[in-house]
Amino acid sequence: MNGERPTVADPGPTPKSTPGLGWNELSAEVVELFASIKLAMFLFIVLAMTATIGTVIQQGERPETYIKEYGEEAYRWFLRLGVTDVYHTWWFTSLLGLLCVNSLTCFYKRFPAIWRSMHQDKVNVALPFIKGMKQTVAIPVAGPKDRVAEGIVQLLAEKGYRVLAKNEATEATIYATKGIMGRVGAHMAHLSATVIVLGGLIGSYYGFQEFGVCLEGQTYHIPKGQFDLRVDKFWIDYHENGSVKSYNSTLTVIDHGSPVTTKTITVNDPLVYKGIWFYQSSYGDAWDRVDLARVNIKEKGTDKVVGTIDLPWQKEVSLDNLGLKLSLTDFVADFGFDSTAKKVYSKTVEHANPAVKLAITEQPSAKAASVQTTPWIFYQYPDLFEIQGSKYRFELVGYQAKKFTGLQITKDPGVNIVWIGSTMIVVGITLSSFIYHRRLWAKVIPGESGVTVHLGGNTHKSQLDFQKEFRKLTERIQTLKT
Amino acid sequence: MIRSLFLFDMTFWLYLAALLLYVGYVLAKRPGMQLAAAGHPAGLPEDSGWAAQIGQVATIVTVFGWVVNTLALLARAYERMQVSGTFAPWSNQFEAMAYVSWAIILGYVLLEMRYRIKAIGAFVVGIGFLAMGAASLLPYRYQTAEPLVPALNSYWIYIHVSITLTSYAAFAMAGGLGVMYLMKERAERRGSRLRVLASFPDLETIDELGYKAIMVGFPLLAFGIILGAMWANYAWGGYWSWDPKETWSLIVWLIYGAYIHARMTRDWEGHRAAIYAVFGFLMVIFCFWGVNFLLSGLHAYA
Repeated sequence: MNGERPTVADPGPTPKSTPGLGWNELSAEVVELFASIKLAMFLFIVLAMTATIGTVIQQGERPETYIKEYGEEAYRWFLRLGVTDVYHTWWFTSLLGLLCVNSLTCFYKRFPAIWRSMHQDKVNVALPFIKGMKQTVAIPVAGPKDRVAEGIVQLLAEKGYRVLAKNEATEATIYATKGIMGRVGAHMAHLSATVIVLGGLIGSYYGFQEFGVCLEGQTYHIPKGQFDLRVDKFWIDYHENGSVKSYNSTLTVIDHGSPVTTKTITVNDPLVYKGIWFYQSSYGDAWDRVDLARVNIKEKGTDKVVGTIDLPWQKEVSLDNLGLKLSLTDFVADFGFDSTAKKVYSKTVEHANPAVKLAITEQPSAKAASVQTTPWIFYQYPDLFEIQGSKYRFELVGYQAKKFTGLQITKDPGVNIVWIGSTMIVVGITLSSFIYHRRLWAKVIPGESGVTVHLGGNTHKSQLDFQKEFRKLTERIQTLKT
Repeated sequence: MIRSLFLFDMTFWLYLAALLLYVGYVLAKRPGMQLAAAGHPAGLPEDSGWAAQIGQVATIVTVFGWVVNTLALLARAYERMQVSGTFAPWSNQFEAMAYVSWAIILGYVLLEMRYRIKAIGAFVVGIGFLAMGAASLLPYRYQTAEPLVPALNSYWIYIHVSITLTSYAAFAMAGGLGVMYLMKERAERRGSRLRVLASFPDLETIDELGYKAIMVGFPLLAFGIILGAMWANYAWGGYWSWDPKETWSLIVWLIYGAYIHARMTRDWEGHRAAIYAVFGFLMVIFCFWGVNFLLSGLHAYA
């Protein structure tokens, strides 16, 4: 948006002051620098170059990952430069900040002139100014000055120009302009950078992002929203060919003890309540409970399977023919034992070493006394322990893991500001791309026979189209009927 | 599946034929007695008899190819509807490429209708053909209409993907014009009397058209990125996550942003602008292809 602006048409209010190092000169220099196109280009290119870093080097990984891939020395440099989280480093953020300063200063410096020219334009130009323009032509036209000028005004008005004319005794001067919105659009886009960054900042200061692993039928408190969330159901739909169609969780919001709203969320359809968004983000097998476990019961003596039973979670099942009462009381996906707390726990969420805990009550029989025991049965090591005094051996042959649904819980109060900025940038760029600002000046000067029309014009872009338009206008003026 | 793939194949061959015809046109064109006087529009150089006809056939074949391309995309949309109930015929890499070449050719046909400069076809139809060709080089499993993964199964795919791909097509056109500019400029500088040049428009026109193509692509890409951000806000739980694809499309946008600002200053017209447009297009190619195959991320669906 820089200065092909004719200085003649828009004379500065004050003459240039003598060079010095006063405050005014300094601030003018600073404004000049920060409003400059050079700085904008520099920032665009540097941002583009530095943004590539994060797409080549993985972001936010654990130190071991980097050391393994790049070595220790390189990792030290990575930390120093912040390239493991490059988009949040002070220098990347500063570049973004500088871009905002750049675009705001440009707005501050250039927009007032545009605003003025939207409201008050000056017709006054000298003939040499018209002759010195990029597009300029002198057209002899037969007819009196006033009529020719009138015809030109009409022609330009028909073409959608805003026309100002000034009729003097010796000459008539016409000024016409069109497409100022293109320039307004550019400045709208300039402002949008700051709006978007502002929205982002608000989001990062006042928003949050959390991840919840939720099981069906459970209710979870959402402290940051002061309400509860119940997970009613989780399931997966499949296409005919077996690929996944959608992941679905039915959620109910419970506010002050009573259910408020129920919604089935899928990957592209979150639940929003009080500004908090719940996304279907992942799913998996729970590591601390199962729906069902299948257990084979073998007779120790004969090593024959005497019964197979599916045990539901924490419900006692009686097997009268074997004189057994079984109940599935616990499950871990990756068996671990904390010897100080004397507690069994799951070392990871992976199903690496699954085990169930059974509560077994064996009726007394002729040969043995009543047995009551709670052994852990391992899926991968069926013969690890033997239950003393029991007739039977128990084998875990399979289980149906309970699915959990992974919910992402997000609040971002800045998001609407980002959308406002986004609208501004799209509308602004579109306006400035497709509408170009053109200005035409004409002087109608009476000569010996008829008049001479001096027509000149300029545009800040789309020279080709403007040339065409200028040529057509010239032809129309040549054949002007007066 | 067979139907649309057959049509895509046919599109490929038609674009090849169109490209060859445009090249033939450029070769057949002879300089007229006197090239158009400066500032005059309609001074079409005379030619040796064949150029006009070849040019006409080239245009017809291009338009026909584009119609077949359209039919192929429609057939694919129908097939998608059968498989998964969504129809966007730009849901995988192959379809996206086919759509990009569709958009490039459409853009070219509009350009030819408006400016009547056929020589550009040798470059721009060439890129459209290469896009289609690259698509058909993809392994078969990438070419079929598999159902969408849940993350893609959304109405956003219709608008976000198509707009972004259209912007790529505009940048492709600018890239083609950039190459054309550099070729012509080089030939002129050497004082070459190559008659090939006869059909080329003057440098200023090529430069301006290239700039225009970027002026179409730039807002479209901005819109595409923002639609992507809106989609991400629904699907991934945040409008911006610095995923390689979104970062790269931002990089491409910044590159063209620098170009557009540079154009405001005088010394960035012509030669430099042409080189820059070619460079920008290479970055678009990386964003479109490179990121999908070289970098991992949330966009790695194909």
